[in-house]
Parts: sequence; structure tokens; C-alpha cells
Amino acid sequence: MVTTIWAGLSVGAIYAIAGLTYNLGYIASGVFNFAQAQFVVVGTFVAYYAGANLKVSIVLAIIGGALFCAVLAGLEDVIALRPLAGSGLSGELITTVGVAVLIEGIILLVAGPDPQRVPYIQSDSFTLLGGRILPAEALLIVCAVAFTVILATLSRRTTLGVTALAAAENRRAATLRGVNVKALSLGAFMLAGAIAGGLGPVIGAKTFATFDLGDGLALKAFVVLAIGGFGSFGGALIGGMAVGLVEALSTRWLGDNYANIMVLVVLVLILLIKPSGLFGRRVERTV
Amino acid sequence: MATLKAAAPRVSAALTVIRSRPYIPIVLAALLVLQPWLGVDQQWIRQTELVVILALIVSGLNLSFGYGGELALGQVAIYAGGAYITAILAEHGVGDMAVTGLAAIGLALVIGLLSGLPGIRLGGWALAMVSFFLVLVLPNIINQFPDLTGGFAGIAGVDRPTLFGISLESTNAFYLTVVILGIIWFVFMRNLVVSRYGVALRVLRQSPVLARSLGISVYRLKVTVYLLGAIPAGVAGMLFTYLDGFISPSSFTFSVAISILAACILGGKDTIYGPILGAAFIQFGPSNSESFQKYSLVAYGAFLVIFGLFLSGGVGELWRRLVSRFGRRTAQVLDASEFDADAAIPPLRGTDLRLSDVSKRFGGNLVLDRVSLTARAGHVTALIGPNGSGKTTLLNLVSGYYTLGSGTISLGDERIDGRSSHRIARAGVARTFQTPNIPEGLSVDETVESARFARHTIGILPTVLRLPVAARTRRDDRDAAAAALDAVGLGPLGTATATAVPLGTRRLLEVARAIASEPAVLLLDEPASGLDAHEVDELARLIRAVAAAGAAVVLVEHNFQMVLGASDHIYVLAEGAVIAEGDPATIRDDEAVARSYLGITTEPGTDVTGSRT
Repeated sequence: MVTTIWAGLSVGAIYAIAGLTYNLGYIASGVFNFAQAQFVVVGTFVAYYAGANLKVSIVLAIIGGALFCAVLAGLEDVIALRPLAGSGLSGELITTVGVAVLIEGIILLVAGPDPQRVPYIQSDSFTLLGGRILPAEALLIVCAVAFTVILATLSRRTTLGVTALAAAENRRAATLRGVNVKALSLGAFMLAGAIAGGLGPVIGAKTFATFDLGDGLALKAFVVLAIGGFGSFGGALIGGMAVGLVEALSTRWLGDNYANIMVLVVLVLILLIKPSGLFGRRVERTV
Repeated sequence: MATLKAAAPRVSAALTVIRSRPYIPIVLAALLVLQPWLGVDQQWIRQTELVVILALIVSGLNLSFGYGGELALGQVAIYAGGAYITAILAEHGVGDMAVTGLAAIGLALVIGLLSGLPGIRLGGWALAMVSFFLVLVLPNIINQFPDLTGGFAGIAGVDRPTLFGISLESTNAFYLTVVILGIIWFVFMRNLVVSRYGVALRVLRQSPVLARSLGISVYRLKVTVYLLGAIPAGVAGMLFTYLDGFISPSSFTFSVAISILAACILGGKDTIYGPILGAAFIQFGPSNSESFQKYSLVAYGAFLVIFGLFLSGGVGELWRRLVSRFGRRTAQVLDASEFDADAAIPPLRGTDLRLSDVSKRFGGNLVLDRVSLTARAGHVTALIGPNGSGKTTLLNLVSGYYTLGSGTISLGDERIDGRSSHRIARAGVARTFQTPNIPEGLSVDETVESARFARHTIGILPTVLRLPVAARTRRDDRDAAAAALDAVGLGPLGTATATAVPLGTRRLLEVARAIASEPAVLLLDEPASGLDAHEVDELARLIRAVAAAGAAVVLVEHNFQMVLGASDHIYVLAEGAVIAEGDPATIRDDEAVARSYLGITTEPGTDVTGSRT
């Protein structure tokens, strides 16, 4: 049982990390960047090539993944989102889904459809509080908590963070206040890409490098934010863990087939009962 | 150059004809029907059938996404539902399309309701993501009932159907069935889009706020179009099962959903026939050739990015631009001052609007503090006060855009506070906006006609089938719109593009739209701002005329001279409270008003830059 919980929490950590990076882009630019999850996948492939082909150290793999995905995310912002700023949701939805599918397609072309083993942090599992857990899994949970604390602190305690919050609240007002909204959103996207890509060796150690992981991950990240509230880092951590546990426990009690179905059920329930998420707040519409 | 110029009128005339009569679709439909007798091979027939099936699904997406404005990919789940119910019925010996068709449509509506209802209320990302997720778990759900669906192996050996006992086994008979069902849907779609429903949808997509103020229930209309869009997807599923006689979960994957989205964007998401083009492109391109299949994800992704960025209207938009360049003269920019408002305003059944002890807080800010006022039918009641004094908030409370803090708002003897904004509008409260709210892509006529959509309802079926009752409503709509336009002096502008007219004209157009809704109460939010002196006089005359026709007019305005001239009774708001009221002469001489509003001395804390919502 405890083993199941550890498994759920470690998968949940991946969802939490994805959710955190989604939040980052959302706070700075108001966009749910559907393609963000693809940077996690790209990160695992960078880790796979770094480990299996180049045989470099994990530190280099992390730096490589972070740099590569930061650049990709920056390109996405400049090419696919900036021209649409303020044109409404459906435009951004189309282009971010487009970028996601494009990246997925390119990965499929370059690396093929088979999952690849990422050769970092592959030591044996150990016992923790009565359940078995892999070192990579433990590290994932630590990373999720650490990044939550760092991002939450940055966003509340630093001028840059508060500025980003302000820009998310009202883009035009922030612009009038002299905030460079474009640079802010570019920076947030690149940071989100860097975090997702840099964690490739840790995430890939658990998930393998798999080309079609991104769509599911993007949707899980949406569930994470729906639970935790859009824009809340603490909410993303809790939402991520919740989704991971729902999956692990449904698999254990109901069977493999139920993992995704139950997450969808949770999403629909949350949207019906508390659409602003557990940590979000409602905004009255204006004319 | 000379010959080009001489040819232009002829080209233009030809394209005008094309635009007003659907000749191209009719010729295309005839060619499709005749295709088997034109000597094409079996492979081509099958490809055409697949294009029609895909076009049906995409057309449903166009209806909900392009026209309804909500991206939901539940279409794939509905398509799968139609396919599976057909296969399951076939296994149980039911092969008559009259039965399976109804079953497929019924299941489509059920899946549409289940997948649409939770998300549509929230709209936007929530709906999109729930529907994406549904597609993702589709294989899991199908696999959940292995006895029924055959699990991952699927169902094989489904025979071609019969229709009322007539076998559709031969290639040509089945082909004709597919094509004719496709034609029926596209005729339905075309009639819907050009009807008043099409106009209402365009209003809804651009401004839900405006739609509500016209009495249109945004939620209900969105659910309606989403469910209508489910029907072709269900039928497509049925046809798909009969086409190959085999289905499995691999036909209903996330990448199928993406290909449908790509076809929708390619053909143009708010077009009637674009889906056929998009479907043909996807069918003959990425999903056809073996070598291309490897690149299909890259291709779909690239389509979505490129079209999303540069051509969000798709190929259909290109075509429309081409036709309108030659076929329609660019809208003349006409000025309202060229006309006289001679025609009378049709009589209006006015009702008194009463606010008592109305309060409203935003967070800790008390924006309105126990405001009571009465706007009597047949009178112009003005509401003046400095920026941030709560005037627009008050209008928004009456319209139902904000929830009331405390107090009551009633129309005659009826309480309207607490009702949703579209129901308040239906009760007879019409309004204009600080920034004129005129949807793009509508003519002046259509803009005014849209005000009658909610108050004179008629079902979708009579509309699409063009029954006499629908024709009568259509005629009434046109007459009422023409009368309202004549009343504000914009009669000659009818067919011009509404967004192309100048600001002053747009304000008059908003008033005409309000008049066409036969309001009991008309709320005017700063109608004179940005108008020149001549236009302000015209507007004042019009406002008096609306009151004389019977309506209760509430005028929020900064132009003090105009207010003095146009109104019967004036309320002065300052910091959320009524500080004075009376007839124009009383207010003009009131000291408190002069002090707080006319700027003899400015009160500290009066927020000049305050947000004006």
C-alpha cells in the first residue's frame, strides 16, 4: 500500500512540476501553453541522447536539456504567441496545440515510436516508511516540493515576481505602468522551458523517453491547475500529488483501465463544484 | 489595362451571382451524385466517401467552434459513439439505416450533452480540455465494455445496411447514400447559418455581453449549437462503420481529433463549405499516402500554427475576400448627418423602472450606497455625476451583469433583480454601451434584426426547413428593423457593413437596435461622448422621441447641456449616493451639484482616472 502511495506521489511530482511550469507561463502571459508538456518530453529525449550516445555526466545533461528547452520555449513565445497577444483564447489555443503536435511529430521522426531508457539515476529501490521507492522517484518528489517553494517565494517576495502577477492580472495596466510585458512573458516561458527540460534526466528515469507522453501530460497539468487554481504554485503541488494518487489508487483498486477515466471524473467534478479550483478565486465579470 | 477595367464589371456581376446563389455547391453536389456514372474507379469512390464522412465531422466542429465560439473536440467521441452503436446493432441483426441512423443520432446527442454540459458553462479552456481529455480516455472507455465493443480488437464483419428494406449493398447505392446524407447536412447547415440563428451566433461569438443584453441566453444557444454539431458526427460514425465493416479504438485517437481540428482550421472554421475543402485536403494528403503518414503529425502541427497565425479564417476566408473584392463594393462610409430622422418611432409599451435602496460593494469599496430612483415610462430620466460615482455600475446592476448587494430593482410591479441578464433583457430592458458594441461581419440591417431574435422566437427546425411561419418571422424582422432604422434616420444604410460606419452613426445604430427590441426601458450609457455638436442635437431629439413613443429612458451622460435639454428628471450621483434630484432647472441651480460635479471646488478623493467599466 505504501509502495502504491510512493508510486502515486512520484508520478504526482511529475504532474506537479508540469503544473508549476504551466503556471509560470500562465502568470506572466495569461496563456495555458498546451505545448509546455512537450518540453518535459523533449527534456527526457535530450537526457536519453546525452546519456546513451554522448555518455556525459548528469550535470551536463541537465544543463543541456534546460538550455535547449529554454530556447524552444522562447521561440514558441516569439513566433506562435506574441503575434496573437490579446486576440482571444481560441487563436492561442490553436497555435499552442499546433506547436505541441509539431514538436511531437518531430520527435517521432527523429527518435521513432519506441520508448527509450534514460540512463541516469538507475540505482535499485529502497524501503521508506514501509514502502519500496526508487531513488529517482524520491528525487522527483523532492524536486517538486523544492521548485514549489522557490517559485512561490520568487513570485511573492521579489519585485519581478510581483510584477509578473500584476501583468497577469491586467496586461494593459502593467504596460502603462512601464512594465515590459513582452520581455516578462518571454522570460517566464524560457524559465518554464528550462525547468521542464532540465529535469529531463530525473523525469526520464521514471517515464522513459516516449514521444507521445506530452498530450496526456498537458491534460493532466490542466487537471492539476483546475484542482489547485490557475496561478497558485502551492495549489499546483497539491493538485499534482492528488492527480498522481488518484491514478495510482484507481489502478490498484479498480484496474489499469481506470487510471485516466478517474482523473477525468475528478476534473469534471472539480469544474462542476468549484470551477475556480481549491485555491483560486472568482472574478466578477465586467462590461 | 483597359480590357481589364472593361472586364471588371462582368467579373464582378458573375461573382455577385455566385455569392447570392449557391451555384458552386449545387454544381459540386450534382457532380458528386453523378460520379459513379462518370467512370471513376472504386478507389476514388472510397476516397470520396471518406472525405464526405470527415467533412460531416468537421462541419459539426465548424458549427460549435467556428460559429458557437467554443473549441470542443468531443466530436471524436461522438463519432466513435455513432460508429460503435451501428456495429453493435449490426451484431444484433439490426441493419436498417432508418433505425441505426436514429440510434446514432440519439447517442450523439447523449454524448454531446454529457461531454458538453460541464464544460460549456465555463467555456474556454475548461471545455476544450475536458473534451481533449475525453478523446484521450476514449480507448479506455471502449475497452471497459469488451463484450459489447470487442475491446482493442474491435468489431469486424458489419454488413452494408438496408434502408426501409431496400438493400444498399452495391457500391453505387451505398455511395449515393453517403453523398445524399452529406448533401442533406450541408443544406441544413447553410440554411441555419444564413438564418437569424446565424446572426445570433455571430453576435454571441463576438460579445456574449451584447448577446445577453439582447435577451439571448448564451448558455442555451451554445448548448444548442454544440448538440446540433453532434448530429453530423454521429451520422459520420454510422457511415464509417458501414463503409469498411470494421471498427476498433485505433480509428478514434487523439491524432484523429487533431486531424479534424486541422481540417477545420484549413477550410475555415466559420464557413459553411470550408469543411469539405479541409477534409479533402487531409484525406488526400496526410492520411492517404504512406510516406506522408510518417510526417502527418508534423504536417498537422504546421497547419495549425501557420493558419492560426496568418489565416485564422482558413481557405474559406481567402475565398470570401476574393468574392467581396469583386462582388461587393466596399462599404460606403456614410454619415448619419446626411439623413433626417423624419419617420416616427413605432409606439413602445413603457414600464416604470424602480430602484430602491440599491447598494453594491466591490471588495471593500462601497460603490453604490442605498440609491433609490424611479425612471417613469414616457420620460427621460438622466443620471449624472463625476467619474467613479457609480453611474455605469448602476446600469450594469439593472442589466443584471453584476449581482445586487442589497435593495430591489423592479420593472412595473415585477422584481427583476437576481434574474440573469438575458431574462432581464427579455422583460424589456434594452441598452446601449459606452463604446458602441457592434459585431463584425454583420450588415446594418442584420445588426438591428438581431435585437428581435430573443423576443420573437421561432424553432430551429421551421427556420432551417424554411416553413411559412419562419418566412413570416423573417419578414417581420426585416420590417421592424427597417422601421427602427428609418426612425433614427439610418434607413438608406441598410446593407452597409455595420462596423464600417463612423462613430456617431454607430451610436444611432445602437439606439435603432434597442428600439427594434421594443423596449419598455432603454438604458443609454454616455451616448453623446465623442459626438460633434450637430450629432449631439440629433441624438437629443432622438432620445426625446423614444420617450415620447412610450419607453422609460435612463440617460447616463456627462454632457451637462444635453442632459438639461433632453431630460425630464435628473438624479445626481456622487461617491455612490444620490446627492440631488429634480427637474433640469432645479439641478442647474443646485449648489451641492455645482460643488461636487461641475467642478466649482473638487472634492478630495474624487478619482479622475478611476476605471470606467
